[in-house]
Amino acid sequence: MSSISRVPELVEITIDGRPVEVAAGTSVFDAARMNGTPIPTLCHLQNETPVGVCRLCVVDTGARVLTASCVRPVEPGMKVVTNSEKVLQARRTLLELLMADHPSPCARQENSGDCELETLAKAAGITQSRFARRTVSHGIDDSSLAIAVDYDACILCDRCIRGCNEIRNNFVLGRMGKGYSAGIAFDLNAPMGDSTCISCGECMVSCPTGALTNKTVVGTSITAGPDAQGFQAEELLQLSVFKGISGTFLELNRGAIVKRRFQPGEIICREGEFGSTAFYILEGQARVSLSAPIAHVKTQGGAKGLFKKLTSTLAARDADVRSEETRDRTIPIDASVDLAYGNPVAELGPGDLFAEMTCMNFYPRSATVLAQTEVVAFEMLRNVLDIMMKNKSFRAEIDQNYRRRALENHLRGVPMFADLSPDFIEHLKGSVELQRFAPGQVIAAQGDAAKSFYLVRIGFVKISETYPGGELVLGYLSRGDYFGEIGLLGGGVRTATCTALDHVEVVRISGDDFHNMVERFPSVRQGLEVVAAERSAQSQQRMQTVRRVPIDQFLSQGLMEAQSLLILDLQNCTRCDACVNACADAHDGITRLVREGLRFEQYLVATSCRQCRDPLCMVGCPVGSIRRRNSLEVIIEDWCIGCGLCARNCPYGNINLHPFEVMVEDLERPGRKKAVVKQKATSCDLCTHLKEPSCVYACPHDAAHRVDPRTFFSEMLGGGAAK
Amino acid sequence: MRIDKTQRGWAIASLVIFAVLTALYLAYAVHAPSGPRGGSALGLTFGAIGSGFMVFAALLGARKRVPVWRIGRAQAWMRGHLWLGLLSLPMILFHGGFHFGGTLTSILLWLLIMTVVSGVFGAGLQHYVPRVMTTDVKLETIYDEIGNVQKLLREEADRGVESICGPLGVGKSASEEVLRAGGLSAARSMSIMSSGGAVAAATETVILTEEECAFLRKFYLSEMRPFLEQPRQHRSRLGDRDKAHGAFSSLRTAMPQSAQATLEDLEDICDEARQLVRQEQLHHLLHGWLLVHIPLSLTLILLGAVHAVMALRY
Repeated sequence: MSSISRVPELVEITIDGRPVEVAAGTSVFDAARMNGTPIPTLCHLQNETPVGVCRLCVVDTGARVLTASCVRPVEPGMKVVTNSEKVLQARRTLLELLMADHPSPCARQENSGDCELETLAKAAGITQSRFARRTVSHGIDDSSLAIAVDYDACILCDRCIRGCNEIRNNFVLGRMGKGYSAGIAFDLNAPMGDSTCISCGECMVSCPTGALTNKTVVGTSITAGPDAQGFQAEELLQLSVFKGISGTFLELNRGAIVKRRFQPGEIICREGEFGSTAFYILEGQARVSLSAPIAHVKTQGGAKGLFKKLTSTLAARDADVRSEETRDRTIPIDASVDLAYGNPVAELGPGDLFAEMTCMNFYPRSATVLAQTEVVAFEMLRNVLDIMMKNKSFRAEIDQNYRRRALENHLRGVPMFADLSPDFIEHLKGSVELQRFAPGQVIAAQGDAAKSFYLVRIGFVKISETYPGGELVLGYLSRGDYFGEIGLLGGGVRTATCTALDHVEVVRISGDDFHNMVERFPSVRQGLEVVAAERSAQSQQRMQTVRRVPIDQFLSQGLMEAQSLLILDLQNCTRCDACVNACADAHDGITRLVREGLRFEQYLVATSCRQCRDPLCMVGCPVGSIRRRNSLEVIIEDWCIGCGLCARNCPYGNINLHPFEVMVEDLERPGRKKAVVKQKATSCDLCTHLKEPSCVYACPHDAAHRVDPRTFFSEMLGGGAAK
Repeated sequence: MRIDKTQRGWAIASLVIFAVLTALYLAYAVHAPSGPRGGSALGLTFGAIGSGFMVFAALLGARKRVPVWRIGRAQAWMRGHLWLGLLSLPMILFHGGFHFGGTLTSILLWLLIMTVVSGVFGAGLQHYVPRVMTTDVKLETIYDEIGNVQKLLREEADRGVESICGPLGVGKSASEEVLRAGGLSAARSMSIMSSGGAVAAATETVILTEEECAFLRKFYLSEMRPFLEQPRQHRSRLGDRDKAHGAFSSLRTAMPQSAQATLEDLEDICDEARQLVRQEQLHHLLHGWLLVHIPLSLTLILLGAVHAVMALRY
C-alpha cells in the first residue's frame, strides 16, 4: 500500500538541449516522447517490455557508444541528443541493413501502406539499400487459416513473441536458430496451423511489418439474408462461447460469422448441397434427417417378356438385403449424433455444432436440418470455426456433447465392440482423448512404437505402407473406422503410416485402456485378432507381389491399387461392343463401362470400376455410404444422398449418377409428398445379381475378362518368375 | 476372335460329326436303289440336321439382342455358330445328294454356299484384322468418336502453330476452351504413353519472326491443315508415314531450334490422324462383310422355311 501512495522521485535531464523533469526509472525513450520529442523505433511497443533489439531508437547520451533509448533509464543530469548527425547516420545505416533483407513492398505495405519499417525508410530517404540483398528465402507459412506468415519480412523485433507470451500468456511463439538463420517459431518450430496457436491475432497486431498479416480467406463474408444478423467484436465477446477468443481476430473477421433465426419448418441446410459454413445452435430444437430414399440401385434380373427391356429400380433394403451387411448400422453424419439406419432422424439442440466437415473440408452437407421450433444459430466460416475449435471452453463443450451423445453409438458401431459392457463404455467416455489433426499430419508412423488405438470421428485417414520403390496406399478410413490394433496386439510397432487426409478428429484410446478392454472382453480380443491377422496377411501378400513386379509402373498407372480390372484382349476383340451393350442392358440402358483406357501391349484396361485398394472415391463421402464389403469390393450403401462427390473423386471416371423420380416428404409442407428427381451413385457392381459380369458373359470372342491385376500383370511382365 | 487352340474342342466335335455323317451318307448313297434323294428318310434327316445347324447359327443374332439372359455364354454361341454353320453345308449337300434340283433348291444351295463362304471369309477377317489393328493403330479410339477426335487434333495443331507463328486466321470452335483445360492433351499423352509411343513435348510459346515461320505457315495451311480436315479424301504425302517423316525432316532443318518441339507435336498429330484413318479402314473391313453375310443368312433361313413347308406338304 505504501508504494502506491509514494510520490515518484523526479529526475532532471536535458533532451536536445531542453531541460525536462521525469520520474526516476523512466526510459529515455518515454522521457523524450512525453516531452514532445518522438524517437523512431521498431521493436518497442508501449504495452510490452522493452528489449532494445532493433537499436533504431539509439540516442547519444555522451557515452562511448550510442545507447538504445527504450531500455536505458534516465539518470540525473543526463544530456540526451536524439538528432545529431551521428545518431541519424546510425539509424540510417540500421534502416538500410533492415531494408536489405526486407521484401519491399511487404504484404502489409501493399495492403494498407503502413509497414513501419518501410515508412521509416521512406522518411529517411532510403530508396535503395547499399547492402546486398539476401539470396536465400526464409519462406512463408500458409498453414494457418487466419494469419499468413512471411519469414522474409520478419525483422526479429520480438514484438510478436512478447505479445503472445506477455500479453496473451499463450506461450506459443519464441525464437529459434542463430545468426542468419534466426527466426520466430511456433511451438517447437511447427507450422503455425499445426501448432497450439489459437490465432488470437495478438502477434499480428503487434508486428510492425508484413511478417504476420491477417489472411484474406476467400469468402470471409457470409452471404447475408434478411434473417442474418452481423456483429461487432464486443458483442460476440460477451457471449460465453466466445470467451477467450481474441477481439482483434473477431474484428478482423467480422462478416465471417452471423446469427440466424429460423422459423419452425424452415430448412437450415439440405443434404447433398455444397457449402462452406458450420452452424452452432444457440436456442431451439432442430430435426436432422436424410430425405434420400434408403435404397440401392438394383437391376431387375430375368426376363419379364420376350425382348422386354430390363430396368433398374431402387430396391429397399428389406426387399433386397445385400450379403455381408450388418442390419444395425448407424449412418454417420456431420453432427454430434449418428442416425439410426431404421429411422434416420435425430434431434439437435442448444450447444450442438453441425456441418463441421462441410465447413472445414468443404464436403457436401450430409443431412437435412429442419427447424422444429424457432431456432437461433450462429453460422460461421472456416476461419472462425477453426479458432473456436481451438478455444478451450468451446472445445470442451463440443467434446462433452460428443462423449454424451455419440461416443457410445460410435463404439458400438464397430461390430466387435458391441459386447462392451455399459460400465466400460462409461469408463471410456471419461478416459478417451479427442485429438485433432491438420491435413497431411501423420497420426502414427510406420515403425513407431504403438501406444494407442484410434477411432476416426471426423475426416479421412490414409493408411499407407512404404516399400522399396514407393508408397502403397492400403486404404482410407472414415468416420466409424478404427486403426492401431495390429501394433498393440502384435509386436508393439506400427506396421503402417496413418496420415490425416483432411481435418481429422480421432478418438484416442490409450494402450492401457485398450489392453484392459481386450482382457475383460474376450470377444473383442477375438474380433480384433481376426481383423489384425487378415490385415497382416494382406500386407504380406502385397509385399510378395511388389517384390516380383516392377512396382513403379503399377503405381504410376494406378493398377497396383486395383483389385479387379476389366481387361480386353485386343487381338481377340472385334470391336463389336457386345460388352458395352450388355452392360447397358443390365443397367437400365446406361453402360457402366467404356471401351477405352490404358493399353498394355495387346490388352486394354477398359473404363470400369477397378475395385481399388486405394479407393479415392470413398474420400469425402459425407455420409460414409461408399464403403468396402468384407471382400474388399467397393459398394455404395443404401443411404447414398446422391451428392456426386465420389463420381468426381474417382480418377478413372468409373462412377456415374443414376437419376430416379421418387416421392418424398415435402419438408416445406409437412404431411404431404412431392415427386422429385433423386440421384444415386452407381458403379460397376460386377453384376453380382447375375453371378458373372454381363460384359464378360456377353463377349462372343473371349476377349473380355475380369482379372486380378497383380496376378495378371505379374505373369505378363514377370514371366516365369512370377508364376 | 481367333481361330486357335481354344477352338479345338469344337473343331474335333465337328470333325467327328462330319466323319460319322459322311460315312453314313456314303453307305446310304451306295446302297440307295435310286441314289440319294432329299425326300428319302435319310435325306430328310440330313436336311433336318442341316436346317437345325443353320437355324442355330442364325439364332446368334437373336442371342446378341438379349446379352443379359443366362442362356449360355455368348462365346459358346459364337463357336457353335462358326462350326455348326460350317457343317450345315455338307449336311445340305448330303440332303440333296449333291444335286442342285429345281429353281428354289438351286437358289437355296447357292445362298448357302455364299453364306458359308462369306462367313468363313468373315471369320478369317476377325482372326487377322484385330491383330493388325492392335499393331497399326496404337492410338485407337472408339469408332464413333473418330470424327470428333480428328476435329480436336486439327484444333490442337492450330494452337501449336499459332503459339509460334501467331494467329493463322482460321476459325475456332467452342471445344477449344475445353482443350485448353487439358482435355485432349491429357488424354493423348496418356494414350501415347500407354501404347509405348513417344510423348508429345509441350509446346514452347515462342513467337517467331514472320520470315522464320513463313515456311511452316505455308506448309501448314496448304498441306497439313487440309490433310487434317479431310484425312480420308486428301491425297497428301502426309497420309504416308515415310513421306510425312521426310516432309517434317525438311521442316526441321528449315526451322529454328525454338520451333522443334512444335514440329514434333505436329508430326505426332499427323501420325495420330493417319492412325485414325487406318482404324476406320480396318473397322470397315472388320464389320463390312456382315452387310453381305447377314442378308444372305436371313434370306436363306426364310427361303429354307418355304422350301421345307413346300417339300413336306406337296
